Amino acid sequence: MRDRAAMNRNSGAEPDGALSARDIRRYTFKASLARTEGGLMDIVSEVYTYVLGALVLIAMSGALVAGLRAQLGIAAIAAAQAGPALLAPESAAAALLLALAAVLLSTELALGPVSMTLPQMSWWLPLPVRRHGFIAPGFYRSLLWPAAAAAAVMLPLSLGLGGSPDPGRAALATVCAVSVSMLLYSLAGWAQATGRGGWLRPAASLVAAAAPLLVMGAALYNSAGGAADLGWLLWLPTGWPLLVAEGNLWPLLLVAAAGAALAWVHARLEQISTASLRAGAMVAGHVGGSILTMDTGELARALGPARESKGSRWITVPMFFRHGPAGGSVRGSLAARARRTLLATHAVLALRQPGRLLRALVLATLPGTLAATLPAVAGASGEPGAATAVLATALLFCAHAAVVSFGSTARFAAGNPSVDALLPLSERSVRRIHWLVPAAGMVLWMGIAFTLLDLLDTGSPALTLLALLAGPGLGAATVRAAFRPAPDWTMPAVATAAGPVPVGAARSFFVGPDLTVITLLPVLLCLLSGGVPWQAYLIQLGLSLLAVLWGTRLRRRVRSTAQ
Amino acid sequence: MNVEPKRLDFCPMDTPNSPAPAEPGHSPTPATPIVVEAHQLSSGYGRSPVCGIVDFTLSGGGALALVGPNGAGKSTVLKTVVGQLEPVSGSARIHGQEVDDRSLAFRREVAQVFDEDAFFPSLTVAEHLAIVAAGHGATEVEELIDTECEFFGLSAERSSLPHNLSSGQRRRLLLAAAFVRPRSLLVLDEPEQRLDTAMRSRLATRLRGEVAGGLALLLVTHDPAFVRTIATSALFIGDDIRHLTPAAAAAAISETNPHAG
Repeated sequence: MRDRAAMNRNSGAEPDGALSARDIRRYTFKASLARTEGGLMDIVSEVYTYVLGALVLIAMSGALVAGLRAQLGIAAIAAAQAGPALLAPESAAAALLLALAAVLLSTELALGPVSMTLPQMSWWLPLPVRRHGFIAPGFYRSLLWPAAAAAAVMLPLSLGLGGSPDPGRAALATVCAVSVSMLLYSLAGWAQATGRGGWLRPAASLVAAAAPLLVMGAALYNSAGGAADLGWLLWLPTGWPLLVAEGNLWPLLLVAAAGAALAWVHARLEQISTASLRAGAMVAGHVGGSILTMDTGELARALGPARESKGSRWITVPMFFRHGPAGGSVRGSLAARARRTLLATHAVLALRQPGRLLRALVLATLPGTLAATLPAVAGASGEPGAATAVLATALLFCAHAAVVSFGSTARFAAGNPSVDALLPLSERSVRRIHWLVPAAGMVLWMGIAFTLLDLLDTGSPALTLLALLAGPGLGAATVRAAFRPAPDWTMPAVATAAGPVPVGAARSFFVGPDLTVITLLPVLLCLLSGGVPWQAYLIQLGLSLLAVLWGTRLRRRVRSTAQ
Repeated sequence: MNVEPKRLDFCPMDTPNSPAPAEPGHSPTPATPIVVEAHQLSSGYGRSPVCGIVDFTLSGGGALALVGPNGAGKSTVLKTVVGQLEPVSGSARIHGQEVDDRSLAFRREVAQVFDEDAFFPSLTVAEHLAIVAAGHGATEVEELIDTECEFFGLSAERSSLPHNLSSGQRRRLLLAAAFVRPRSLLVLDEPEQRLDTAMRSRLATRLRGEVAGGLALLLVTHDPAFVRTIATSALFIGDDIRHLTPAAAAAAISETNPHAG
């Protein structure tokens, strides 16, 4: 369809006298507003909520700045006591900006970046009026969140990095960062309008995964006495805002470039295909639902590749049997073969989703990356402080995200109970087999994460051993989250940031994460305190055992009283 | 405050290239132009076709029914023909132009109804229809809405919001929206879905009349009665692709689904 654009230009004239997109938008808006219950007080309440939300965000940013400055103060003391930091703060910040920019671009490409709601697409776009007027409002709105995200990251970063923060430089650095985000938006807009750039999304995902690994590699090299310098990251456009924060003004050329790129996209809004807008709307809906249900796995799936890789279809269940279940000698009892089949299914599904495994690996390196980029953590050798608390929090979130990554097969089994029912095994046995692979995965995950921390002088072999003991418990958290009961939507609602959610539903969302927190408590406490007493091993063993029993237990079914 | 559709400033639309809306009972013009032309069209997602290659033409006054088992790719072909999906290979042309749902000419000529439950939650049935009618430059919007609401059994629901409608009523609203606007090609994906028997029969009769009046109709259906009543030709999409007479297509549907029709 090469001549689509030409055809579009040829038929670009609006019929004389027909309604414009603006008329139709205004009509839809007025009709909706006229039917909105509540009136002026509701609008005032909405405005109040947004203003309050903005104030809270500003306060949080301020607290972050204060925290960052405090940590850098600790870093200076620690550096004096424990030698130089593993990475220069500017280089670490540049790596962080590169990773965030890649995540931003990947998200923009998944969301469109220009999108409309499904009703708008169904009822507006088929009308024979110029589409620009329908699409442009979505374009303007979609510019806001990347700009806000860039400002929220850069402002505290530029204020926290400088020796004596200059509000003027920080403001200019923030403007530069917003320009970078707008350039990335325009790049995604170019891909959407032209239907090209299919390689951009995998490339952005690759950069997002590679940046933490690069930082980790450099930090490990430096901790072994090397002198890896990531200063070159500052010269990538994503690092230019940091150069502005240091006093350079030439990177502000990006402002003009971003303006020109946005104007280019704006002029081509009419060329965006309905299919592309529809795909963006579907992803936006998926993302919204994932945020509402606090399901990080679904969120990753919504923003991940459109289709699972087909390259791993050659991995099959019979590969895990020496002679294959259908041919040759079949060994073991029926139950033993069923157990092997279920285990093989877990292994096959895990290997067929290399993206999930890579995500889990990157998550395992994030605590170490954080330790390397926070000199106070890396250099203080277990000195308690705010930075260790930040590390512990990050560890908790990364562990939970890994738990979710390892739970896809168990989630499938929970959603399709008839598949498990076909196996000649008791329900309890099946549930425990579902635990085995995630448990092995989480033992490995904890081993990688804490070995890296140990290598960076933040952990210790004793802490790594304790973390390994927590792995089986985290595997149980995977199973508990996968087999959690359906939310009870009939209970009264409570107000949340995502709107009213029934109490029963909100309670259901914590089934799984609760076990992650409980299982990790000894590890986190030892990380914060800087030592591992022998009692900690006993407590961790006990908690992991309890977690396994709790996470793999079968829930009692409520008998129907309708009969 | 109640916003009435009549508050819009409706103006006549200048559509010199589009034929006048067909009136039921009119005979097709002797030399009917080709409306849809699918040439070696392979449909699918990305580079993966979901069915074999199709070749067909559809002229004004003709109704082509795509029939076949579930999952054979009928709806995918339909979506490719109207530009919702890129062809894997081959091409589809409407009124001699390569399909592009961004062009004004395409949107003026082609009405399509797929199984999509997407409505503005705060707009009534009448207001949804008003957007479509007014957006296409209709002058007698109120009358059009009255007529179609009556035909589709929605008169009592004119002021109802979508969430107060039943599944079948929402389907009727989608179908009504295709009739409050001019069209030279109507594309329907399983129009019989969620409709009661009486409504199916009335719709089939109406469509037969419109086709006789010069409309080109392309539909996917599992209802043999629909095929027998409306179709002038049929294309079976399954393990193989073959052109059938409407009677043979109706028989093929009955074989695939003995409970149909």
